Amino acid sequence: MTFRRLFGFLRPYRGQVIVSTLLAIGSQVAVLTIPFLTGRAIDATQPGHRDRSALMLNAGLIVVAGALQGVLMFWRRFLAGRLSLAVEYDLRNAMYRHLQRLSFGFYDRHQTGQLMSRATVDLQSVRFFLGYGLIFFSQNLITVVVVVAALVAIDWQLALIALAISPAIMVAAYRYSRISHPVLKDVQQRIADVTTHAEENIVGVRVVKAFAQEERETTRFARLAGRVFDQAITAARIQARYVPMLQSLPNLAIAAVLLVGGYSVIHGSLSLGSFFAVNGYLLLLVVPLRSVGMWVGQYQRAMASGERIFEILDVDRDIVERPDAAPLSEGPGHIRLEGVEFGYDPGRPVLRDVDLDVAAGSTVALIGPTGCGKTTLTALIPRFYDVAAGRVTVDGADVRDVTLDSLRADVGIVSQDTFLFSTSVAENIAYGTPDATPDEIVRAARQAQAHDFICDLPDGYETRVGERGLTLSGGQRQRIAIARALLMNPRILILDDATASVDATTEAKIKLALREVMKGRTTLIIAHRLSTISLAEKIVVLEAGRIVAQGTHADLIEESDVYRQIHSHGLVDRTFVDLDGDAPVAERRAASGSPRRLP
Amino acid sequence: MTRPQRFRRGRTLGRFARPYTRRAVVAAVTLLVATGASVAGPLAAKEVIDRGIRTGDYNRVVLWVAVFLVIVMAGWIATAAQSYLTSWVGERILADIRIAVFAHVQRLDLGFFERTPAGVVISRLTNDVEAMNSMVTDGPTTLLQNTLTLIGSAIVLLVLDWRLALATLSVFPAMAIGTAIFRRYSARAYRRTRERMGDVTASLQEDISGVRVVQAFRREDANYRRFIAVNDRYRYANVQTVNAASIYFPFVSLLSAVATAVVLGYGGILVFDGQLSPGALFAFIGLLSNFFDPVQQLSQFYQTMLAAMAALEKIVEVLDTEPAMADAAGARELPQIAGRVEFTDVQFAYSATSAEVLHGVSFAAEPGQTVALVGHTGAGKSTVVKLLARFYDPTSGRVLIDGTDVRDVTARSLRSQLGIVPQESFLFSGSVRSNIAFGRPEATAEEVVAAAEAVGADAFIRALPDGYDTEIQERGARLSIGQRQLVAFARALLADPRILILDEATSSVDIPTEARIEEALETLLRGRTAFVVAHRLSTIRRADVIVVLEHGRVIEAGTHRQLIERRGRYYALYDDWVEAVA
Repeated sequence: MTFRRLFGFLRPYRGQVIVSTLLAIGSQVAVLTIPFLTGRAIDATQPGHRDRSALMLNAGLIVVAGALQGVLMFWRRFLAGRLSLAVEYDLRNAMYRHLQRLSFGFYDRHQTGQLMSRATVDLQSVRFFLGYGLIFFSQNLITVVVVVAALVAIDWQLALIALAISPAIMVAAYRYSRISHPVLKDVQQRIADVTTHAEENIVGVRVVKAFAQEERETTRFARLAGRVFDQAITAARIQARYVPMLQSLPNLAIAAVLLVGGYSVIHGSLSLGSFFAVNGYLLLLVVPLRSVGMWVGQYQRAMASGERIFEILDVDRDIVERPDAAPLSEGPGHIRLEGVEFGYDPGRPVLRDVDLDVAAGSTVALIGPTGCGKTTLTALIPRFYDVAAGRVTVDGADVRDVTLDSLRADVGIVSQDTFLFSTSVAENIAYGTPDATPDEIVRAARQAQAHDFICDLPDGYETRVGERGLTLSGGQRQRIAIARALLMNPRILILDDATASVDATTEAKIKLALREVMKGRTTLIIAHRLSTISLAEKIVVLEAGRIVAQGTHADLIEESDVYRQIHSHGLVDRTFVDLDGDAPVAERRAASGSPRRLP
Repeated sequence: MTRPQRFRRGRTLGRFARPYTRRAVVAAVTLLVATGASVAGPLAAKEVIDRGIRTGDYNRVVLWVAVFLVIVMAGWIATAAQSYLTSWVGERILADIRIAVFAHVQRLDLGFFERTPAGVVISRLTNDVEAMNSMVTDGPTTLLQNTLTLIGSAIVLLVLDWRLALATLSVFPAMAIGTAIFRRYSARAYRRTRERMGDVTASLQEDISGVRVVQAFRREDANYRRFIAVNDRYRYANVQTVNAASIYFPFVSLLSAVATAVVLGYGGILVFDGQLSPGALFAFIGLLSNFFDPVQQLSQFYQTMLAAMAALEKIVEVLDTEPAMADAAGARELPQIAGRVEFTDVQFAYSATSAEVLHGVSFAAEPGQTVALVGHTGAGKSTVVKLLARFYDPTSGRVLIDGTDVRDVTARSLRSQLGIVPQESFLFSGSVRSNIAFGRPEATAEEVVAAAEAVGADAFIRALPDGYDTEIQERGARLSIGQRQLVAFARALLADPRILILDEATSSVDIPTEARIEEALETLLRGRTAFVVAHRLSTIRRADVIVVLEHGRVIEAGTHRQLIERRGRYYALYDDWVEAVA
């Protein structure tokens, strides 16, 4: 099954596969003519037949045959090598494409390292097999078929004795194949575990160093590397049991032929010549049979890896567009959640019975304690997850009925975790709109209060921000993320704690800017600061996955305890101070717009 | 590639093989037995024919067949032992290399990780080690067996007829030149292949771990196009190795055909001149393939070796990266400290060429004091704490802990008494419990719970599906930011360091969590010397010493009250903050 599917990846290169097989046969034929020509040359030296020109002619022909074989072999290798690389390339692209489209739910369950390992290490073993294993196999198969046919033609009885061993070889090969498969698959899994541990430790190296845990992490890594070793040794043990057996079994056939054939020759029922011929052909079988073991090992490794690759490729995308999905039509951005239920794990609902109406162009603040489902609620709008019950609509259209691309193009998100890619600041800001002009990028950065500090960076907008944007402070990263969302000019804006890591001074400035950009957009804000919450016309209080109160500030101050608590805590002590200092004090003062006040 | 580099690679491999010398020797012996059996088998079969069948003596046929079978069995057993032992040694060496690279990488300074994408390091640990697999496990067998056969055949050919043997060797200069060209071209191509594989891995690493942003910003198609380009560059580099091999192997087999022709031509002339019997020429030609088969096998092995060596070279590159910070010769263990920290006239630049970022910083903190570092981005706050944790050494001046220069003690003994809470609460996949116990793996379950309780994390942890045993997914994705922060605090508290360095996270959280974090901070700072890169006004005000940094200089230091009374820089800053958050 896996084999057939892997084979399917060769289909686009059918022509090249056929040509390289023909080339392989051609070069084998050229190889076989060399002994023949050698024989003719030798004949030309025999007493009585001495023929200098025949000798030279045949010697010359050997060079020609050698050259011909060289040329054919060059093309065969050249084509087959490219072929296997092309299949590796196609498979990896297919995996990448598929991975990039799998839903958030999938990534909640799978670790980066596990997926990386399948797209690299596993893919390599598939390539080796498809590239060399298959051609190698077909070459040997041709030899075996020709030799068996010759044997039967010369003396079918002797041939039968010689081939009597073949069921034993087949059984051994089959058992070897079956037993080694799960072991080899496990080796690949354990390599993936090594990859996962390495990935996490390298990304989190600062924490490891901070707690001086290098030695323990190395010990843990050594244990995982040891697990690869253990299983590789199990595989080696199986190999040691079967491969030498597969290599030795043909010798038993030779022994039987020597015994029986010898008897026949001595008793005159077989000519010495026929016996020699049979023996000679049997020797030709030794090499291909010897490589059966090697081939089986390679085949099984490729199958084990192929299964692991298909495991990923077969994961159904659970967030899929309907076949008749239409682009989200133009609209003002009216969001409705009707009777929405949702949970990450079955049986553990995170949102229950949520009804929410966000009027087009309005701003709604979601508040509530940590873990109450605020972020989850916003993740349903761009359809990162599908609801378990109820529906989410944007301008009257169920989000499941429109194309993902059009939906997500109209939802700008600034999330708590500001993941930046290791590229320039400008490219990070233009991440959702790669064709934005430099002017547009700068405008978005200005709106997000990021322009000044970006200009202070060593290369300004061209500064490469390190892996995961680690060289920037949390507040700086967050402002780049805000600029990134603003540049998309979305109809719906989701600010999930978007100013959480920004100090109060900068937040005050961003707030002013936000007031501007929120005009004409529907905005959902998750926030804890009263100053940010005050941007909203309507406030929704969530608790344990349910909406417990909603209304205006005035409504809630009367109705909701949670809201009253938040409101009464908007104190100086609870906020952060400006340490990014990318604007002079006077300017900041002007921006905050409040009168000077001393303690 | 220079000669010393090649030498170093060889030496590295030797170093990793040395512990297993005995097994390797046993493996070599079994290999010799197996090779002997594979040569002796056909000889015995020949005896069956020559002594038995030709003479018509069936008893001899049976006898020599028996000898043949004994040889076959011996070969079988020896091959099995040899196959197991070489795999064992090879896999062990690979595992050791993997572990050594990981251990080495963990010792490298942070600068290395800022320069090198995570995916590239991962590629060294996985793809490159795997690329050495076939050389290390099958290589020795191919090498030894074929070299022996080659030498044996060469001797036989020389004994048979030295003139013809020399004629055979006439193709060798061409072979040597061809091989040298192949090596030059191929080694470069393989090296590039390894580098490009690193790029592919790095792309995968980043785009998989950032997939949520990719989808939110609909970058799937654009990223796919970019990945295709990266993947294609890898393929292109690898195609170069295919090209080299496609020319080299046919070249080698062409040379063997040429050698056959030369021997025939020259030998035929000798036969015509009566200097050689036709039988001798026949026998010589017959044995010629025994000579050229191993040559072909060895050239195949050579390719495998070049591929593996390129991978090893990349691995050695990592192993040869010296940590910028290494323990001084004679560094001693830092004894249990009280926690007095002193900076005396510390000057610092990140590299010899870059500008100085600290220009003579001096201050002191008594045991148990909380020091708030205050100043704008780039003022040098984080540099100060990096020097304290000895992630870097000062260019001049000294950093003293309890009067001991941090350069005189081992990094491990220093950091084990130092706790660092970075701004980002990076958590590992695993249980909540294992994350809290990260800095002190031997902590009991009660201690873990106590730490969580002390920072007010206990309640939410118990509410998780499996309480303390809940798996929190990669990077703690299952927890909210506030929860991650509390777990990071519990982790630092449980480690119970004498000196704590805290880069205060600025993410605001809901009111109850914020209150909990502030309480947790108090608990965490109590009873130890603490350096806080402060972002909370409350933290700053509570500090025993506030150090105000500007442009790499300490411009003010003192308590909140003192600094306010001084009406200097701090006063201005404070005024500004209060006004902004009012």
